[in-house]
Amino acid sequence: MRKTLALVLVALIAMFSVFANGGSESTSASSDTYTIGFIGPLTGDNANYGIRCSNAARLAIDEINAAGGIDGKQLALIAENSLGTVDGAIAAYEKLVYSDNVCAIIGPVFTSPALAVAQRCYEDGIVMISPSATHKDVTSVGDYVYRTVPSDSLQSEVAAHYFYEVLGYRNIACLYAMNDYSQGLATGVEEIFTELGGTVSAMETCMVGDKDFRTQLGVIANTDAEAIYIPNYTVEDAQILEQAYQLGMDLPFLSSDGFSDPEIYNLAGDFTDGVIYVGPAQAEASTLLADFQEAYSAAYDGDMPDSFATNAYDATYILAQAIDRAGSADRELINQEVKATNDFNGANGIINFAANGDMVASQGVYEVHGTTPVYLGSFQVVDGHIVQVD
Amino acid sequence: MTTLIQYLQYLLNGITLGAIYALIALGYTMVYGILKFINFAHGDILMVGAYAGLFIFTFLLGESTNAAWMLIAFFIAMLLSMAFCALLGMFIERVAYKPLRNANRLAPLLSAIGVSFILSNGAAWLFGAQSRRFPYPFDDTPISIAGLAITPHQILTVLVSVIMMVVLTVFVNKTRMGKAMRATSLDQSTSELMGIDVNKVISLTFAIGSALAAVGGILAAFDFRVYASMGTMTGLKAFVAAVIGGIGNIQGAMLGGLLLGILESIGAPLFGIPSALRDTIAFAALIIILLVKPDGILGKNEREKV
Amino acid sequence: MLNFFQLIIIYAGIYALMAIGQNCITGNTGMLSLCHAGFFCIGSYATGIICKTLGLSFWFSLPVAALCSAAVGFLIGVPTLRLKGDYLCIATLGLGEIIRNIATNVNPVGMMAIPRAELFGYQFSSRNKITFIILVWCFVLIAYFLFRQLAHSRIGRAMIAVREDEVAAQSNGINVAKYKIGSFTLGAAIGGTAGCFATAYTLTVQPGSYTFMVSVMVLCMVVLGGMGNLKGVILGAFIIEFIQYFPQLVGLSSVIPAQASQIIYGLVLVIMMICRPQGILGRDNYRYGDPRSLREKIRDSFKRPSKKEA
Repeated sequence: MRKTLALVLVALIAMFSVFANGGSESTSASSDTYTIGFIGPLTGDNANYGIRCSNAARLAIDEINAAGGIDGKQLALIAENSLGTVDGAIAAYEKLVYSDNVCAIIGPVFTSPALAVAQRCYEDGIVMISPSATHKDVTSVGDYVYRTVPSDSLQSEVAAHYFYEVLGYRNIACLYAMNDYSQGLATGVEEIFTELGGTVSAMETCMVGDKDFRTQLGVIANTDAEAIYIPNYTVEDAQILEQAYQLGMDLPFLSSDGFSDPEIYNLAGDFTDGVIYVGPAQAEASTLLADFQEAYSAAYDGDMPDSFATNAYDATYILAQAIDRAGSADRELINQEVKATNDFNGANGIINFAANGDMVASQGVYEVHGTTPVYLGSFQVVDGHIVQVD
Repeated sequence: MTTLIQYLQYLLNGITLGAIYALIALGYTMVYGILKFINFAHGDILMVGAYAGLFIFTFLLGESTNAAWMLIAFFIAMLLSMAFCALLGMFIERVAYKPLRNANRLAPLLSAIGVSFILSNGAAWLFGAQSRRFPYPFDDTPISIAGLAITPHQILTVLVSVIMMVVLTVFVNKTRMGKAMRATSLDQSTSELMGIDVNKVISLTFAIGSALAAVGGILAAFDFRVYASMGTMTGLKAFVAAVIGGIGNIQGAMLGGLLLGILESIGAPLFGIPSALRDTIAFAALIIILLVKPDGILGKNEREKV
Repeated sequence: MLNFFQLIIIYAGIYALMAIGQNCITGNTGMLSLCHAGFFCIGSYATGIICKTLGLSFWFSLPVAALCSAAVGFLIGVPTLRLKGDYLCIATLGLGEIIRNIATNVNPVGMMAIPRAELFGYQFSSRNKITFIILVWCFVLIAYFLFRQLAHSRIGRAMIAVREDEVAAQSNGINVAKYKIGSFTLGAAIGGTAGCFATAYTLTVQPGSYTFMVSVMVLCMVVLGGMGNLKGVILGAFIIEFIQYFPQLVGLSSVIPAQASQIIYGLVLVIMMICRPQGILGRDNYRYGDPRSLREKIRDSFKRPSKKEA
């Protein structure tokens, strides 16, 4: 009986706290702060990406607040856990939009939750800027949906042209994970590389979270591929590089913006030497990126931001400027101002939005020397040929 | 043009991968053999073991690059991590499973899931979500023999799992305590009447199982890295391995682990299907094996008495 | 707040359907199965394909989703008859993983922008939660009454006989195979309808959602509520969803770290199990046929336990 009593008590406390909080709810959308929501996986297998992005957004907001906020009003960030699932992302969205009354959303981090949330954002008329959902369909949902990460098609076009025209490879192999990001890039590169006249001799797949890639590497080693394209997330890339070394393979590796995470040098060490990857472009003579990385590292115990975190940082600044120009927390005005973003100068260089909300930017190419990425320049594809922009 | 040497290489990769599964499956099998319940938290104890090993190892190592000291430090770290996990395992058993010993069979399963949540999220909270690399305590240059590549840490993994299997077999079959364990696994109340301290036996089983998980965690960390959710999928695979071999059977766990590793490694090229479906092959094989041998390969087929 | 509570009720309804299906397999017939995520996945995909690719009505997809899942449940049920206890559990877990694996390999992005459910021109949109709650809980009620009737019928008693003692059931002329496969098929069908509603609500299908943790959570709902007790199972679904989203409901989630809310979730599971191992509304073996009325029970639960009882 005591146990039943205890259970009843727990239930009562739960109920009371629900109602107790009900009173304070209205203050969260008070007039002296602008509240921005963040949705991303903060726990689970991919928590790394969610946590970094939310940290970067928080850093940006702290910086803006330290500089006096927007017209004297402070910014606040409410980060919600999407659990990496659609259910979780929708729940986070509902909480942010209806309970917290946020004026815009940064995230979600991965494509599938982003697609689900984008649909809701479009219907409810609230701005959403994803720092890392790369799938081509995300921005095609409709208005109000933006991203500060290049879509798969943009990045893979530059990558394929660069591999074929500049590096001179005629035969490559791909090893990619079965998720929207990796598959989008790999199939994009395959298509364009083949169109250009090259051969893709192996399209090997793995699952996200796989740790053993020796079989796939073995298959690739048996082809005539001159290089291996690995458009995956950091952890998988590190595993692939190390296991290729363990199997005695010495083919050059090519990668994508998932590689532009300093974590890779802790995980893969010297095996990163010689990797060439396509990542975000850097504005020449700008220290914004270096400043951001330094500030981030100082704020979060020496952790280094990856390219998605950098995108989240830029997204937050774009949003803050839009709110500043809009002068209110009105969701419609903010949407108009985000759309009107013109030559935003962020850590990832100059950013504009296309009509559908996609980011317009050139792509940077990096080559890793030892464990230091060296910037080779930024590129665009013009009239079917790759052109170095700066 | 997959040649014979290529297949041998897949086989070799499979054996080393399977050795890790086998090592973890040994712990699963121990606990299951006594208590007949799936300890979902086993995979997370493995993760704790890997973190403990990593921290102790890097702490002991400091700035030293002395090769001999590295090896010694590694073994000290492994032993301490084993001890730590053994205590943790006993503690978890005492708090979360013991009160449920006479409850219905699914209650401890749920409790174990709760413990698993606490451990993996606790680790993510304390240590962050990023993966960490476990430094090799020895020179890990790959060795090439007749066109086959293998690394020293892989050899170590296979060796340790074989040794552990032998030690456990001897312990369970030859020692007094092992005899008590076998008695407890057959019938708890009768063994209690025979003067066996069942609580002690169960505590010890958890201690051994968790210590094995720590070893498995550290060796898995070389290949899989250390991260908060490392136990989930690895633990699941190891459990599958234990079931394939016949759960509760020590040699079975070893056999099941190796079989699972080899299937994962060689299955995709052998059947000519995409490598991302390797788990599908492994699980399909599991089901087929179970349909042919419903108690696992080496499991005892217990006829139900009426 | 109210809005978010409505969301929890919707999710609880969807999971309650799954838990009813799981209860049919595990609670009534006593088979430990861990592939409800697989049935959920098949139901969701069936709805996605019918509503989006074929452009047909949601109402048509509902029976099709149930049938597809039932077919898979039947296919799983037949060969796994040979397996018992934990071996069955792990074989079904493998099947659930296979389903997810194949779905991921077909298309890792899944499906999106699936049209909404419509009834006489009214769209069940996710913004208007009340109507969606009515929709989902209507089906939970229907499932509840159907399965309650089933449990009290000859079939249900036969299932329970199979659960309690297979050999004895067989010797009493019960066709064990028939009832085992039957309960698998039924449980799967209701799991498929749950997938159908989940799709109608989120309008997206993502293969990554159907991990074995979903199956485990559904099993938790059944065990937590009380195996074999339909009311308990529905309550279990509600409680699990409530604990899961409680931090977001009260705004705690933005104050405490995300991991902490997961840790609390784990703690609550452990504590609840230790307090009531037979489930919240589970059978108390020692108090079978409690003579007290409901009022007396409630009064007694607030009374301090007497020394004798403790």
